[in-house]
Amino acid sequence: MDETVIEYIRRTVLKIPRKEIKIMLQKWGFLSRSQLQTINFQQTKENISRRVALLCQENSADIKEAAALDIIYNHVYPNKRLWSVYQMNKTIYQMKEKETEFFDIRDFKTKFKRKLHSALENVTINFREYDDSAIWIRIAWGTPYRKPNQYKTSYVVYHSQTPYAFVSVSMFRSNVPLLLEALVAASNYNHICAMELRSHSLNSLKEIVFNRYSQNFQTYYPEALQEHSVEPESEPQIVHENRKTKEKIQGMNQQAFWDCSLPKLEYAQYKLETMFESDPKMGVLHRKQPFRCLVKFSSPDLFESLKSLAATSMAETSLSPLLTCIPQKPMNNFRITEETSLISGRLSTSLCLN
Amino acid sequence: MESVDGATRSLPSIRRLSRGLPFGRARGRFGLSPSGRLLLPRNADSQTTAFLLRKHWALYSVTPLYKFSSAHLKAYAKLLSAFIAAEKQKGLAVEVGVELDIKVAVTSLPDLKGSDQDEDAILVQLSLRSQAYQKKSEEKLVWSGWFCSVYGDDLSKNMPEDFTCLPVFLANGAESYTSIVGSWFQKTFDCCFHRLAISPLSLSWMAAMWTRCKVDKTASAMELVFSVPHLPQPLDILYAIHPEDAKALWDTVQKTPGEITQEEVNVFMDCLYSHFHRHFKIHLSSTKLVKVSTAIASAHCDGIIKFLQSQYVIEVLMLLTELAISQIE
Repeated sequence: MDETVIEYIRRTVLKIPRKEIKIMLQKWGFLSRSQLQTINFQQTKENISRRVALLCQENSADIKEAAALDIIYNHVYPNKRLWSVYQMNKTIYQMKEKETEFFDIRDFKTKFKRKLHSALENVTINFREYDDSAIWIRIAWGTPYRKPNQYKTSYVVYHSQTPYAFVSVSMFRSNVPLLLEALVAASNYNHICAMELRSHSLNSLKEIVFNRYSQNFQTYYPEALQEHSVEPESEPQIVHENRKTKEKIQGMNQQAFWDCSLPKLEYAQYKLETMFESDPKMGVLHRKQPFRCLVKFSSPDLFESLKSLAATSMAETSLSPLLTCIPQKPMNNFRITEETSLISGRLSTSLCLN
Repeated sequence: MESVDGATRSLPSIRRLSRGLPFGRARGRFGLSPSGRLLLPRNADSQTTAFLLRKHWALYSVTPLYKFSSAHLKAYAKLLSAFIAAEKQKGLAVEVGVELDIKVAVTSLPDLKGSDQDEDAILVQLSLRSQAYQKKSEEKLVWSGWFCSVYGDDLSKNMPEDFTCLPVFLANGAESYTSIVGSWFQKTFDCCFHRLAISPLSLSWMAAMWTRCKVDKTASAMELVFSVPHLPQPLDILYAIHPEDAKALWDTVQKTPGEITQEEVNVFMDCLYSHFHRHFKIHLSSTKLVKVSTAIASAHCDGIIKFLQSQYVIEVLMLLTELAISQIE
């Protein structure tokens, strides 16, 4: 029996907040009810973890059980990881077929494992399905000469009814191409590409991406929403009867951006490689080369803060399309070069992506 | 940017910065061309500065110390050590559990100064010596603090004999040690420590001054961090500029070598703000500049500094001395 597995389970338990340990162990279901009753959940986490380890030893826990507990932990606390979004596709003709395809989970798992094992013998793969048709995949990577490292895992969250996969890689970035290949093969797609969208908030990413997905089918036209103006009832900025402020807010309401309830993103990053322009009278920098800079907006809730910023004099009433396009694109990592037309306020779709 | 009051108060002293630049420019009245005695900056050697690089130092301004003498440093170390032990007995201990012995060392750093009129810098170090290990090699440095003055003549020139001017104090380590050491100095030398905040105005001066320095290929970006705190959800904006491009911009803004004016700093910052506004339609000038970071050093508005290159330590200390003196006066 592998002591490293028991130690791994013990360390996973240590990560869980003390109040949540009992519930999580119940969700896990590996320890029987009578075994759980022998644990004193009022003692220190250290002691609880040791007791759990002892019980797991009695039950001869193996890596499959340990992996299951880790998946449950990450499912409850996904925001501890950084998630990137990938989109898969096929040719148009094949897409039509795809819509009517029946998703076979066993087939998916077999193909996924087969693809990974064909390249790498030392890899631990575990799956867990959830009600919202989300498949959580946990992968622990090894090398030809080393057993898989259970502490540095990659996660994939794949919603089988959509072409989107959310990936959290952890350390071994060199394994990403293999991982993506396995995903494509298992889900019967042809291509997979990275979207410039990253966040710790998995739910926000899902909101952004799935809204768009359903919009594609509903042929969403943002201009149509300009007719519709919503009174911002709970807008905290409207405290004083400043007519200018009210006008500003109404101006804001005409934009589709403000009408939608927006998901929670923590940052938006822009790598700017545009030319520096200045008043010739100032006699400053006139170069042929771009002015290279990086801008990153961070907030516990980026869209909320941008909304309230726009109601102040610190920003123009209509914020730059660079900011308002984020939910529609959807992207939160941009590289802007001179090819994108900024002056007129319209953002061309030919952004050069990293 | 800053409120009018703050700007008026710090402007006179900030203007002096353009006189005291270590380019070999003479100390004359504001606006005069170089003439007379050339002022060559003392270049503190890398051995002396090794201890202060790449650490975060909390900044304080210190009023002149009464009857302090660099001849009695060993005695001061003993007294401070006894004071710390007494504080621990009183229950204001910083360490819980194993009985730990704190060793105090007070030394002088003659290299860390600007002119000969400056006092020698004084370094205080607290090390932990576990009683389990009797050997000297088992000491662990837990706290450092040092006093210094770089071109602090404006403060010291009118001071009576009994006073020692070391207006800048930098501390690294637990806040609790800082307050114990600070209270001992305050009691013993009748001085006052005040946290030295750095205004957005001063931060933009630092951005301009540190951008102009020559950078090598691997230099880090010039980073400005702006904060918009009074929103329901706070917003931070990081604006990082490639060091070559930042320097190229500054080189076209600066009109006279060896001299920097408030006008030039304003133009430099305005250029950066307008480039940003062009893309994002946000007026960075109405947000609060909270942090500046370049290859030379980084400074935070709460009064935290980090030195990154030994050859520019004296120059940065000169800026800090100016700020400390204007807070004291």
